[in-house]
Amino acid sequence: MRSWHLAAAIAVAAVPALALAQAGQGIDGSAILKPAKDSWPTYHGDYSGRRNSPLTQITPDNVKNLGLAWVFATGRNDQIKASPILVDGVMYLSTPDHVWAVDARTGRQLWHYANPENKAFHIGHRGVAVYKDLVYLTTPDCYLVALNAADGTVKWRTKIADASKGYWSTNAPLLVKGHLLVGVSGDFDNLPGILQSFDPEHGDLQWVFHTTGEPGKTKPGDAMGGQMWMTGTYDPDLNLVYVGTGNPTPVLNGGARPGPNLWTVSIVALNPDTGKLAWGFQATPHDTHDWDASEVPVLVDAPFNGTPRKLLMQASRNGYFFVLDRITGKNLLTKPFAAVNWATGVDANGSPIPNPDKDPARDGRLVAPNEGGGTNYRSPSFDPATGLFIVSAVDGYGIYFFKPEYGDYGWAGADYGVYSKGMLRALDYQTGQVTWEHDLYGGGGGAGVLTTASGVLFTGDSNGNALALRTRDGSTLWHSATGRMGSPPITYELDGRQYVVMGGNSSLYAFVLPQ
Amino acid sequence: MKFVSTAIILWAGALVSAGTPAGATAQRGGPPPAAGTGEALFAANCAFCHGRDATGGASGPDLTDSPLVNADVNGDKMLPVIRSGRPEKGMPPFAALPESDIRKIVEYVHARKTDVDTSPGRRRKVSAEDISTGSVASGRAYFDGNCATCHKPSGDLAGVASKYRGLALMQRMLYPTAGNAASPAEGGERRKPEAVSVTVTLASGQTVTGTLTYRDEFNVAFTDASGRPRSFSTSAVKVAVRDPLQAHADLLAKYTDADIHNLVAFLQTLK
Repeated sequence: MRSWHLAAAIAVAAVPALALAQAGQGIDGSAILKPAKDSWPTYHGDYSGRRNSPLTQITPDNVKNLGLAWVFATGRNDQIKASPILVDGVMYLSTPDHVWAVDARTGRQLWHYANPENKAFHIGHRGVAVYKDLVYLTTPDCYLVALNAADGTVKWRTKIADASKGYWSTNAPLLVKGHLLVGVSGDFDNLPGILQSFDPEHGDLQWVFHTTGEPGKTKPGDAMGGQMWMTGTYDPDLNLVYVGTGNPTPVLNGGARPGPNLWTVSIVALNPDTGKLAWGFQATPHDTHDWDASEVPVLVDAPFNGTPRKLLMQASRNGYFFVLDRITGKNLLTKPFAAVNWATGVDANGSPIPNPDKDPARDGRLVAPNEGGGTNYRSPSFDPATGLFIVSAVDGYGIYFFKPEYGDYGWAGADYGVYSKGMLRALDYQTGQVTWEHDLYGGGGGAGVLTTASGVLFTGDSNGNALALRTRDGSTLWHSATGRMGSPPITYELDGRQYVVMGGNSSLYAFVLPQ
Repeated sequence: MKFVSTAIILWAGALVSAGTPAGATAQRGGPPPAAGTGEALFAANCAFCHGRDATGGASGPDLTDSPLVNADVNGDKMLPVIRSGRPEKGMPPFAALPESDIRKIVEYVHARKTDVDTSPGRRRKVSAEDISTGSVASGRAYFDGNCATCHKPSGDLAGVASKYRGLALMQRMLYPTAGNAASPAEGGERRKPEAVSVTVTLASGQTVTGTLTYRDEFNVAFTDASGRPRSFSTSAVKVAVRDPLQAHADLLAKYTDADIHNLVAFLQTLK
């Protein structure tokens, strides 16, 4: 299956900007409600976070014929961790400090934007957001940059947090009606957890939601942190945005912040117009292992125990799969989907109860999952046809250390990975039972998951293979050695052809069926 | 990451989230240090044992966390130790180095210590004393019951506590990899002692054996007995992999934390 002559199709990243074939109309929030099949207009593709496409041209029977349409090489070293965003035939791809606009038919570069060099933390970038004729990028040094979609020039730039205090950003903003929701990161320092809404036209701040109390209103012993660094999901009927929140700080010193540390390591439901909290559910009360609950809160309307419900599902970094009623936040299911050894049971709210013996200690504690978690930022997918929630899972162990001498600032401890094994797991959403699993042959996946209405699933393994599997049973249908995938796949249809686009190392690969 | 067995250590940080990076200090890329600088002299003479950034390596302690370095003023404590070495701890003498070079090394170590000390939110250090809480007798009993089928205190493990100290010993005990054999900055060592062996049976019945490079769903790659790289499509051959580390992976779900500390205490006696 290594018959592709990739080099022949590499798009050289030095093509002058081409005039677009047609003037782009761009999109506003209403276009994300029902995304056109020739678009992928927001991080998850739509507001639900299901990463399940209605396209059916590529099927379990013909996927074996997939061939290369084009390759776009960023020419940089960073592995692509972003979801490409597609509007009006133009694909926007980002890595920390960089955005490329690429012709989605040919893979040719239209323009490239580089944020001024900075010393902030360059760990990854999730993707851009688009609105009308603007493209939005968050930067490691905590600016929100609005670029003109036509040529990549800067329309405005606004500071979203103080990078000198330890904030950075990797966030793909979420556009909801007239609001651009932007999250930040930072847990080497004790910082308030903030999600901010900006006016997409001019970049004015509309509201701020604090997970761990407003600055000046906290008291000693309160947790800091709880950063919302991943893109949330949105239910237009309930007018609620769902966002996962990060770990408390100090990270490993739980004694410095007694109690559950609300709303860290939680799923929060917010009104996008005001930033006010409707409800919260805590995945780990009093986390001491850096297990953000930032993973995608996937929205599904489906029966649960025979009753039709509006559900929210999350495979959380702490190794547990949660199903909630997304109207009220009431927990319906809590079940491990990866190796866990840190909880003594489940409390009345449906949150696992941490075992204090697994808190970091002077002589070390062996804990599953490890710091990377039972899963991480990589997107899961929900396939309505089979009722399967498919997640890149890791069975891993780490050793966690804490002693009072470490103090109560920032990390305030030490932890080391010991061993991990990556498995793609398909969960029955009503029971959390693993219906099938597919060995990723390594320590962890790193790739997101995409499913389509024809019953095909796309992801990547630990060894640099892009994979197509049968969603129903996880059997392998196709593979291509594109390099290690750190991003979620997307799919779209242009000129009657269905494309699947996947990252491999620092390049983007577009596959189609032969004409 | 191609040194792997079928189970790769996920270096926390390689894939880790944006919200939470991992890894004590980011590996510094960029050009090698200019010749004659403290950094270059340290890299040439000291990094093999103490790690490229002085935060500890295969056999030498973390100098940024060392009581001797902490007490040192302008080399008054460090110069004599570097000159004479510490034979009892396996540190050779560096008597042939000009004093000006040793002073540059001392300055470099102090600069590294300042770097680490002024990063208040970063990960902290684990000392050998921290993890010495177990019972040697209980550790020996656990070893006899669970480890003695593959390991001998007077054989393969003789002197293991002189090779690996503190945290490194604990990590190696739990799951040895190239990554925790030496500081990653040195590229680690090849995993010769725990090499994964693979035997491939061709359709003809002929077998080829070697040391695994990697195996995935589609291909198996290894170095054969003559040292040549080989690879086969897994659909065309039968593959048998013997991973001696599987026993370590299987124990992770069974250990109590007390078992781990007792075992470490026992291994620490194998100097």
